[in-house]
Amino acid sequence: MKQMISLEVNGEAHELAVEKNATLLRVLRDQLGLNGPKRGCDSGGCGCCTVHVDGQAVYSCMCYALSYDGASITTAEGLAVDGELHPLQTSFIEAGAVQCGYCTCGMMMAAKQLLDECPRPDEEQIRQGISGNLCRCTGYAKIVEAVKMASER
Amino acid sequence: MKNLHVVGQSVERPDAYDKVTGGKGYPINVRLPGMLHGKMLRSPYAHARIVAIDASRAEKLPGVKAVLLPRDVPQLKFCPVYFVPVQAPSMVQDFDVMNGDIVRYVGQPVAAVAATSVEIAEAALDLIDVEYEPLAAVFDPEAAMQEGAPQLHADAPRNIAKNPSFEFGDIEKGFAEADHVFEGVYQTQRAHTCYMEPRVCVVDMDRQDNITIHVTTQHIFGTREKLAFALGIPESKVKVVKAPYIGGGFGGKLELTAMEPVAALLSKKTGRPVRIEQTRQEDFITTTRNPIKVYLKTGVKKDGTFTARYAKSVLDCGAHATHGSEVIMVHGAFGVFFSYHAPHQKWEGYTVYTNNMIGGGYRGYGAPQGSFAVESQIDEICAKLGLDPIETRLKNSRKQGEPHPFNPAFTLGSYGLADCLKQGAEKIGWAAARSSPKDAGAKKRGIGLAIHPVWVSGCMGFPDIYEHSGAIIKINRDGTADLATAAMDIGSGQITTLCQIAAEELGLPAGAVRMSSQADTDNVPFDAPTHASRVTYSAGNAVKAAAAAAKKRLFEVAATLMEASPDDLEVSAGRVSVKGAPGRSVSVAEVAQRAESPFVQMTAEGPKPTTMEEKGTIIGLASLSPKSNPPPCAAQFVEVEVDTETGEVKVLRMVYAHDIGRTINPKAAEGQVEGGFQQGMGYALMENIQFDPETGSCLTSDFLDYKLPTAMEMPRQMDSIFIESDEPTGPFGAKSLGECCVITPAPAIANAIYDAIGVRFTTLPITPERILAGLGKL
Repeated sequence: MKQMISLEVNGEAHELAVEKNATLLRVLRDQLGLNGPKRGCDSGGCGCCTVHVDGQAVYSCMCYALSYDGASITTAEGLAVDGELHPLQTSFIEAGAVQCGYCTCGMMMAAKQLLDECPRPDEEQIRQGISGNLCRCTGYAKIVEAVKMASER
Repeated sequence: MKNLHVVGQSVERPDAYDKVTGGKGYPINVRLPGMLHGKMLRSPYAHARIVAIDASRAEKLPGVKAVLLPRDVPQLKFCPVYFVPVQAPSMVQDFDVMNGDIVRYVGQPVAAVAATSVEIAEAALDLIDVEYEPLAAVFDPEAAMQEGAPQLHADAPRNIAKNPSFEFGDIEKGFAEADHVFEGVYQTQRAHTCYMEPRVCVVDMDRQDNITIHVTTQHIFGTREKLAFALGIPESKVKVVKAPYIGGGFGGKLELTAMEPVAALLSKKTGRPVRIEQTRQEDFITTTRNPIKVYLKTGVKKDGTFTARYAKSVLDCGAHATHGSEVIMVHGAFGVFFSYHAPHQKWEGYTVYTNNMIGGGYRGYGAPQGSFAVESQIDEICAKLGLDPIETRLKNSRKQGEPHPFNPAFTLGSYGLADCLKQGAEKIGWAAARSSPKDAGAKKRGIGLAIHPVWVSGCMGFPDIYEHSGAIIKINRDGTADLATAAMDIGSGQITTLCQIAAEELGLPAGAVRMSSQADTDNVPFDAPTHASRVTYSAGNAVKAAAAAAKKRLFEVAATLMEASPDDLEVSAGRVSVKGAPGRSVSVAEVAQRAESPFVQMTAEGPKPTTMEEKGTIIGLASLSPKSNPPPCAAQFVEVEVDTETGEVKVLRMVYAHDIGRTINPKAAEGQVEGGFQQGMGYALMENIQFDPETGSCLTSDFLDYKLPTAMEMPRQMDSIFIESDEPTGPFGAKSLGECCVITPAPAIANAIYDAIGVRFTTLPITPERILAGLGKL
């Protein structure tokens, strides 16, 4: 039995009929066709699905969509403004923080939460801030560098 | 080496923009109209006979469109490993897609469903009734080799799937000549590659057996060959679409599993595309790095010269041999046997069936297991005899100009191991750190090293392994070029480095060569997989040859324009000029426009013909095998801090020096090393797929139970050093990098822990529990 919810996603309003057991991740990917939030584990272990709900980073695989009626969601697709990349996006490119890229969108959303709360983090704060997100390619060094670069922009 | 303009630059990845703005190019995003969702029912038993399967209740569930049972699946045995022919004599043909009689591990697929949603498909699995007759299971490979153990495969007495060996000299004589003999047993564990994008496929198969498949694969041609074989159809019927990129592989997407043929057959049955996306739990039991137990014995003279080396390796391949029949060979050769000189050597390997999950490919491919034994034992020898770990390694290692140990037709034409050790030691301050007194507190610091003396740049010279590569390059009228290859970018930057190699050869600026985003097995030449550290070297050589062919044609056309001989032309920064007369030049764009322009052109004086011979798109293509298999080598140094109260080990610093011939893209190379170290460090300290010892079911099926390093555990300082030894057979001097960096972290860390607390660990991972037990505190 589906129920209607409204979500604002990357500034656009949507009325959606969702199954009661559908996760926010599944709704964003399968019903809205977004690619930024990615499924890595579906159990809150990898962070690839990280999005912002009303300004707070969450694992969207751990959220039932029904609980978020009326919420405002930002995914990596919503980071750029008027076609201009967010400083995190340009820094990830320039620092070489992107390899396979599967963790990248979730990692940037975690980093965005950190920078929203702490605009000038030191290295330990950056590492702490992204420690809920796994990356298997980079060893995190260039991701930490990218977040640092973004904080200085 | 001549002046290079694009090679050696940290060119930005062309795929990074898409990846930071959402990431369209992954197979997991493929959604086709009318698509159904497939799910596989998996065995709860480690070893059982299938008595009966009744799917009638599942078939009646609304939304279920098809049920697939073993009787619907061709019962064929084959080797699913992508990089060898499907019935390669050197491999074992024991894999089947869905066996109707017997299950040999927990998780073996026994049936499948296609439905209109994932939830309905999952619900339908619960309605399939399977009657099993449980059989005795065996989980330990040495127990499996005993007489009377449960037999897994009828044609493998004592469960030995493969038993290779190497020998030269007289091993007994070698030990008799030794002043000291060292023996040890080293045990490694199951580790998962942990690619972040799960295994997923979307398959469309029609009633005439035409297949289009989108899939997470490291080898599109391997998927084509093995899928066609599994279904009993000609391989030209199968079109494998090359994804622009996949979310990691690391060797974990290097074989056909049940997923692809099951999705194909469900698609054929329903007439609709079928998608199967594995859960992380399924991924954890699909493939793994094979655990290997190594019995290692080394004879040495007082001065540290090896007189004899003997090893026996027992590899647990699980229920089917698959990669295990090749991993054992690479382990024996490149993990143990070739590492060091000794006049007398012997190695014997056993690939053994158990009722554990099937092994697989994983970066390093048998070498990490060997390196842990070999590099740990050298330090034991040095500690006992008071020898210097660097000098002892160098004394017994190979030198530039020697024949390649694997194939004497190849030479170690570039070999910078001594430089790796020297520069790495300087960078980390080895001498000072080794001689400084130990801390008096509970936290003890230690420093350690390990080397990997001989690794591969692909598989040239290996029996039964594909190694050729192909490339097509087309020069566009705007002065750019398109490159098409079957080589997959699995994250390590193959798109970027191959485009840099092409741009360098074509004299175009960085960024002017673009990797085509549309390729499939119908329209690009064969390439061996992205594995075995081969793409930069092997695919790079093919790309360079294709670019050279395009350049030859470019010069022929330019010569008619410039009224010069093609032999007198050169190209740089996008302009073709006459050698020695840089003023006489035209742009590559002008040449390409000329080549593609209409033959007769309207001018102020009326229609005017151009030259017939210059017409036609400027293209170059190549399909070739590389000339050699040059070994990269590496030396790694780490500093650790061991908390003797909690058992926690922190890696504080690491320095990794590699001889990779030539660095094509320094930032990408550093990224390889830093990420490789993360995987090696996880292997050393925490990663371990664990199973219930009674039932054989997996206990670590998500990232909450299977621990891998986060940003918090990683060392704060990681330094990469690249020795550019200029490999004569490599593209612009390059050889490979991808795997050396994963091989040595475990022994380097174990050696540093020994330096810190004086306890030698010979079983991985070295967890806090093992540290405390080693200190006698547990």
